[in-house]
Amino acid sequence: MAVMNQTKINPYKRSVSIIGVGCTPFMYTVDREETNGLTEGEMFGYAALKAMEDAGVSPKDVDFYFHGEASPLNGSNYLTPNIQVANWFGMKGKASIHHSEACCTGYYAIEEAVNAVASGKYNCVLSGCVEFGDAVAVPNHPYKREKMTMEKFLQTTAWLYERGYTRSFMAGQELIYDDAAEWYKRTRGLTDEEMDDTLNHMCINNRKNASVNPLAIMRKTYEEEAKEQGFDDVMEYMRSPYNPKMGDFLRAGGLEIKCDGAAAVIVCATEMVDKYMGNKSHKPIEVLGVGCAACEAITPHFEVTATEEAVRQVYEVTGVKPEEIDIFYSNDFIITSHLISAEIAGYLPYGEGWKYICEGRTAYDGDKPINTNGGRTAFGHAHAASGLADLYEAVHQMRGEAGEGQVKKIPKTAMLRGYGGAQNICTYIIRTAE
Amino acid sequence: MAIKLEKVTQTFYENLEQGKILGRKCPKCGAVEFPPVYACNTCGSLETEWYEISGNAKLHSIVMPAPLSSKPEYKALGKFCYGEIELEEGSRFNGVVRGMTKKKRKQYLEEGKLPLPVKAAIYQRDGYKTVVFDLVEE
Repeated sequence: MAVMNQTKINPYKRSVSIIGVGCTPFMYTVDREETNGLTEGEMFGYAALKAMEDAGVSPKDVDFYFHGEASPLNGSNYLTPNIQVANWFGMKGKASIHHSEACCTGYYAIEEAVNAVASGKYNCVLSGCVEFGDAVAVPNHPYKREKMTMEKFLQTTAWLYERGYTRSFMAGQELIYDDAAEWYKRTRGLTDEEMDDTLNHMCINNRKNASVNPLAIMRKTYEEEAKEQGFDDVMEYMRSPYNPKMGDFLRAGGLEIKCDGAAAVIVCATEMVDKYMGNKSHKPIEVLGVGCAACEAITPHFEVTATEEAVRQVYEVTGVKPEEIDIFYSNDFIITSHLISAEIAGYLPYGEGWKYICEGRTAYDGDKPINTNGGRTAFGHAHAASGLADLYEAVHQMRGEAGEGQVKKIPKTAMLRGYGGAQNICTYIIRTAE
Repeated sequence: MAIKLEKVTQTFYENLEQGKILGRKCPKCGAVEFPPVYACNTCGSLETEWYEISGNAKLHSIVMPAPLSSKPEYKALGKFCYGEIELEEGSRFNGVVRGMTKKKRKQYLEEGKLPLPVKAAIYQRDGYKTVVFDLVEE
């Protein structure tokens, strides 16, 4: 393996808990009259206020906020997007900071917020993210947006990669699509057909999960879609030209659905939850630890290597064992992420994870649920906001409030693994307070 | 030696024009950084020194280009793959290897031939030269 630095992380100076979450539907805003024209302030503000309402706090209680947007210059014509939204949710004059780790932003949103409270500086913090992944702002107009063309999207994602060597060497930026699948297939000894079926089953499971999630963008199951095209066997459909190979291993269904959305969370010092939550009846959810690593894309097997390090950190600092994880989320804008991260985390057994997936055991009604909201290929990918949308789903599952998509056994402990930005990894463990 | 504000990137590319492929060697632990950077990621030394690499390397993984992972300008490479490359000096990084086809990959994997020997080459891109690798076939 490549040379890999490691970091020893320390326990928090004080415990921090999640007390409120908010999330917009993930959507194509410009495609519908009732959402066409929504602005950053309205989207972020909605998610922030829903999180405050959920927590039982007012904007006056919140000391500081973090703001995440993967590509604010491109999507919003903003350099400092945090400044532009505060007045929308009653925090005029309060300090904030903007951060972007591209697709990993919504996971770092937790790292930032928890550190701010665990240090003792703030007691109650908002962390939110917004992205118009499908709709760029029309310059010099107060609210109009236009569809993000694939050409523009690819032009801006090229900015994710290091100029000096990575772009010049032509490999790191291209390996994002298939490197993890190649690594998994080779190290676990799968055939081409087994790997293809595993990727397809992940797409099927994600869609099944999204079909019962009212905030998801893709609500039709692949079984329904296959039938509409005259296929009785969904796998035959998944292997057909309706789901073409776009990568060496990856098919079209395994790619993110880029869209628009916002999500937010309120965290506070665990010792102060009674003060903030008032008469709210739900239990706070403690953030036990966050592990982080990053491998620039010229690093071989960047996702695998950085995930191994981040997972190692979070298990070491929390003392939690893999068998204690009840539910798992992975930022799977390339569907393969979902499999490899769950195995690296020990949530699925080494070399066996692909079988769990193919047997449907990782769908919301299985015994090892993953991405119960539908993940990036079905819930959607509003880049920065996706991580907090996953947290929104995890929190609802842990409260037993996930509706039709509720997993069989209410999870007590969850792991969420963020990935993105060529390439950051941020992995954290949360647990419902006793 | 001293820590210097130095144009490492430009020097690397200018040497490619002269036919030399340079990395940076750590004077403390001997590890070679390729592509070249200031510090040593192996032992943490704050300094490294210029070092000409042999170009001998191994290919540890094979990913073929596809619609998502191709660009029109890559056509000039001919048949190629992406993969993890390890220099004989020890550095590992993602690179391009010319001469790979799907048929050859199948054969190499079936015969358990990974890692495969490869050799560095200087390749003209649009406006500058870069480094790719070629399969060393028996």
